[in-house]
Order: sequence, then structure tokens, then C-alpha cells
Amino acid sequence: MRIFRLELKRVLKSRLTWTLLALALILSVLLAWLPTTYCYSSYTDEVGNEVNLTGLDSIAYEKERQADGSGIVTPERVREAVEIYQVCLTSYGVTESYDLPEGVYEKEILPIAPLLHGVKEAFADPDTGMAPAIMEIDPARIDDYYSVCEARISSLMAMEQPGSPAAQREAMEMYQKVEKPFEVYPGMSSTILDYQNIMGFLVLLFCVVIAAPVFSADYQSGADDILRCTRHGRSKLAVSKLLAALFVSGAAFVVCATSHILVVNCLFGWECTKTSVQMLYSIVTLAGMNIGELQLLFALAGLLSVLASVSFTLFLSSKCKTTVASLAAGLVFCIAPVVLSMTMPGNLSTWTCSILPASGTSIQASILYAITDFKFLNLGGLAVWTPYAMIGACIIEIPLFAFLAVRSYCGHTIR
Amino acid sequence: MELRIDHVSKEFKDKKAVNDISLELTPGVWGLLGANGAGKTTLMRIIAGIMHPTSGQVVYDGVPIQTLAERYRDVFGFLPQDFGFHPEFTVKDFLAYVAALKGLPEQQARRKIHKLLEQVSLADAADKKVAKLSGGMRRRVGIAQALLNDPEVLILDEPTGGLDPGERVRFRNLLSEFAHDRIVLISTHIVPDVEYIATCHAIIKGGKLLATGTTEELTKLVEGKVWTCTVPAKSVPEYENKLQITNLRNENDGSVSIRYLSEQPCNAVSTAATPRLEDLYLWMFPESSGENDRRYH
Repeated sequence: MRIFRLELKRVLKSRLTWTLLALALILSVLLAWLPTTYCYSSYTDEVGNEVNLTGLDSIAYEKERQADGSGIVTPERVREAVEIYQVCLTSYGVTESYDLPEGVYEKEILPIAPLLHGVKEAFADPDTGMAPAIMEIDPARIDDYYSVCEARISSLMAMEQPGSPAAQREAMEMYQKVEKPFEVYPGMSSTILDYQNIMGFLVLLFCVVIAAPVFSADYQSGADDILRCTRHGRSKLAVSKLLAALFVSGAAFVVCATSHILVVNCLFGWECTKTSVQMLYSIVTLAGMNIGELQLLFALAGLLSVLASVSFTLFLSSKCKTTVASLAAGLVFCIAPVVLSMTMPGNLSTWTCSILPASGTSIQASILYAITDFKFLNLGGLAVWTPYAMIGACIIEIPLFAFLAVRSYCGHTIR
Repeated sequence: MELRIDHVSKEFKDKKAVNDISLELTPGVWGLLGANGAGKTTLMRIIAGIMHPTSGQVVYDGVPIQTLAERYRDVFGFLPQDFGFHPEFTVKDFLAYVAALKGLPEQQARRKIHKLLEQVSLADAADKKVAKLSGGMRRRVGIAQALLNDPEVLILDEPTGGLDPGERVRFRNLLSEFAHDRIVLISTHIVPDVEYIATCHAIIKGGKLLATGTTEELTKLVEGKVWTCTVPAKSVPEYENKLQITNLRNENDGSVSIRYLSEQPCNAVSTAATPRLEDLYLWMFPESSGENDRRYH
């Protein structure tokens, strides 16, 4: 414990550590605020002037306009919304909302827009996946809206995983367990979670930079020669160094993620977090949770991913003779999921991105996108949803790489 | 108490750094003499247990140090030749860190650190960052950390590098005080540093142990081979070409007094001088005095 305390003190005394931690916190808050700057609304007031709103004013305006469309998404409300939509467009003789005269969409469609999310997708053609226009949907079929959604997940999985009945079955079971009817509280967009993803990735990079020199710096400077000759200078020191690095990284991520989520929810409204993920992403998303729970799950998975990456970086550090080598190797593995997800063929990419330690917070290949996607890892007759695989991989990797790092440090011999 | 180096060899890819060295170290100060690249540092690392020998073993009180592991490191102190510190450490922080790793209780560690900082004249620099100290001061911090656990076996690799003459004297005195009933091995190529405090010396060259013994025993090896004479200043280059000169001193009358190593005197005016350990060292390592090749047997 004393060695751990001293090691922690040493790490926290480093200017680099403080600079990176402070930067991470500032960026976390900044990235929570940034999506508000993209919010934009405009309307024509009573005297005919066009009013443009941005930022928090725009969010407040849209929330106010869509207040009637918020709440529980019952089939009756969806049907009513579709009918209003169809009547409105028919009365103006158009088939798409963007052909409506100026101001009509804001006045008549915007208030019911939250309830229309996912309707087209639910009624997509089971063979081609093509979504119909809302004008083509028979409102009478919406009375059994959630059965239509279940039929859609079935046809979607048949297209996505044609060779895996296990994945299709698993997806169906998962979707059937999702609590229905959904709820929707306008105000948030999926961009907010994209920014949480960026925040997690940046914190991951900073934590890797802090962890990369933990062992290699001692090898490089020769400090290792002294430390290794002491009574506790091998396994106990290695464990203390490892725990200190994991503690600092974990604490940094928890503080940054908590600050980020708090700021986001305060800016966009806590009631928005009760929105079902299906009302923000695909209507047939397999995860049975609301946005608030998704934020927390994403943060928890991000934490596991950061810890797994730091654990892996410490292992690399115990193997590298210089800090530059360990830092370069650590960063390469941080961005590997991004590169591999873009360059490798489908199934191989899914497997690789599911097991790499940094996948949880990686840009483009993170657990957020895995949760809102329909990918499964198929192994024989077994189908594992990729978010489960990612979390499971991290849980295995944290102790595994920690053990390998300690073992490698203890067995390190000099030049 | 005995530290036995038993047929230890260490081979690297293209070089045999230590070649079948056997040596029994008993309590007292030992000087490990050898030129740069002789294999001293490799041997010390093997003794420190941070490098595995290719063959042979190091045995402390009858038990291989690998088997003793923590118990050996408990009684062991090591000052490497080149070592670094974490830049964020102050002198006190660093010593407290090493003391914790050496298993010293906190109170005892505080007292010991205070005492050692006084002994190595670093009390005023206790709160300074190690990275901002001069080379000599850092060396003294290194010496202090090696002594923290009052080791029974103390290995110091080039401990006096960077120390000024006053610091070297203080270091020698500190070591002489400390060395009672302990094995202290000092590796150096600065012979005067160990000449007077070491009870025994081991001389290695090309990874091989050439000789061991007390200062008196070893200097006997060059008895009758150390000469002095006074020559005109203008003929010094000529003498430098044909002799291994170990010292030159300008005299007031314009002549130069030379001390040289040779099987035979080079002229009739040369007189035999009392050999010192440095003469033996230079006899065995002629390249150290500018000679390229020289027999030492």
C-alpha cells in the first residue's frame, strides 16, 4: 500500500500527467457544450419577420414546439401523427415534407415529428429493405405498430445475417424483450452521443500517453537498475505501478465522463434522457434502454476499454526499451480499430474490432455504434452480439495484460 | 559472510563480456579494476542479480542469489554506473521511494534519509528536484540510496565519477566507516580512489580475471619495472615514443622528471621507484597510458 501511495504520488507529481488530465477535463466539458452550437431553428413571427435561433434558444424553441409530440409512443399516437402528416401533405398536393410551402412544416409537422421517427423504417420492404414514404403507409396498419416493428427486425436480420440463424434468433429474442411502448422526449440528437464518443477517445489517448512510459522510462533512464535491486523492486513494484496507472486512468475517465454527461444533460434537459434509444436511432435497435441508460452504459464500457487499453499499454511498456517505442506502440493500438474497421473485410473487421482493447471508445468502431448496429460474432452455432463481445473482451483483457505486464517486468533483464 | 562468483561467463551476440570469472569476496572493501569495456559493469550487474550469466552462478553464504531472491536484495545495495531518476522526484522523495522499496519502515526511513543526507552533504538539497542537481550531487544521491538499508553487500559501479576532490575524500571516508563486516565492491578505473581504502583488488581485462590480491601483493607484480629519471625537456618526445611514461613533471631547472614502466631502465641515470597500484594498472592496461599493445605477464 505504501509503495502504491508513493507511486501514485510520483505519477501525480508529473507535469505531463497534470497537463493531460486538465486538458481532458476541459475537453470533456467543451465537447458537451459543442453540440448546442449546431442547433438552429427559424420561424416567422406574428408580424411576418423571420426569426433565427441558435444554441440553447433553438433547443428551448423546438422543445416547446414539440411538447405535444413527447411522451409515450402508443400506436394510437403514431397513427394520429401519420394521419396529420398525410392530411397536411395532401392538402398542399405534395408527397414529401420538403415540398411544403415555407413555414408549413414548422407549424404543422414539427410538433408531431418525434412520433414519426422510425415509422418509415418499420414499414420497410422485407425483401429489399427500401423504406416507403409516409404517404404510402396505411394508417390502419399502425394499430399493430410494435408487431410491425418485430416483423421488421426479423426481415432485417435475415438480410444482415443470412447465414446465421442463431444471430437472427438471438436478435429476435432481444428485441422482444425491449420494453414497449417506447418513449420520446425531444431535445437530444444522436450527435450528442457522438461527442461522448470523441470525449472517450481523447481521454483514452491521454491515459495511454500517461501509461506508456511507466516501465519503459525506467529502462531507458537506468532507474530500473536501482529499483530492481531492492527487496520489493520486482513484483510488488510492478503491481503498484500498474495499479497506480490504472487508478489514475480510471479516475480520469470517470471524472471526465461524469462531467461530460452532467453538462450535456443540463444543457439539453434531463427529461430527454428518458427517450428510448429506438426513438433516436433505428426503431428496431436491439438494446432495451433509454438515452440516459445508453449514456451510462457507454461510459461504463468506455471505462472498461480505457482500463483494458492502459493495461495493454503497460504490457507494451514492460516490453519496450524506450518511451518513444512504448508510446508509439500504445497509440498505434488506440487507433487500430478505426483503421481496421475501414480497411478490413466485414467479418474479420467485426471480430478484430470486438476484441481490441481500444474498441470500446474507438472512433467509428466504438461500442456506441455496436449497440445501435446489428452485428453478431458467429462461432459455430453460437451468436454473440458485438457489444457483449466488446465488454467481455475488456473484462478478460484488463487482468490478462496486467498479469503479462507484471510478468514481463519481473523477467526483464538488462541489455 | 561470503559472496562467491563461481565460473561466471556472460556472452552477448558478438562478444564474451565476462569470461569464466571465479572470485570469493569476503568482508572488506574490494576494488574491481579494469579499463573501459573490461567487463566490470557486466560482472556487477550479474552480482546485482539484474543480469543472468550465460553460465556460472553467484552464491551468497552458500546459496545462489537467484534462490535467495528477496532475501539477497534485502542485504544488498547497488549504485549503477549510469542511472536515472524520475524527473518529478525531489531528493527526499526519491530516497523515500527507494526506502519503501527496500522495505524500511516509514519512521526508520525518515531518520535514515536525514542521516545519509548529512553524510553525503546533501541536507541543503533535500527538497530540490534531482533533475536539477549537478552530476556530482546526483552521484551522491545515488550513493545515499545504496546505503539506505545498511547493506551487507554493497556494489558501487564507478561511484566517484563526477565528484570533486573534496567529495571523493568524503566518499572514501564514509565508505571506510561503513565497510566494517560488510562486503563492498567498488568498480573503477580511477585507481587512487580504491588504492588506500580497498583491502583487496581484482583486476579484469577482456572479461577475464587477471589478478587478485592486496595492494602490496599486486604491486609486487611490477616491482623492478617502475623507474624514474630526469631528462632534458627537448628529449621528452623521444622518450614518449619508446617508453610507457606514467608521469611527467617539469622541474624548475627546465628539465623534466619522468616516471615510466619498463622491464629494464632506459638509461644509466634511471632509478627504481616504489611501485604503486596505478603502476600495476598501467602495466596491465598499457592502452590507458597511450600504448596500443603491451604484454602484461
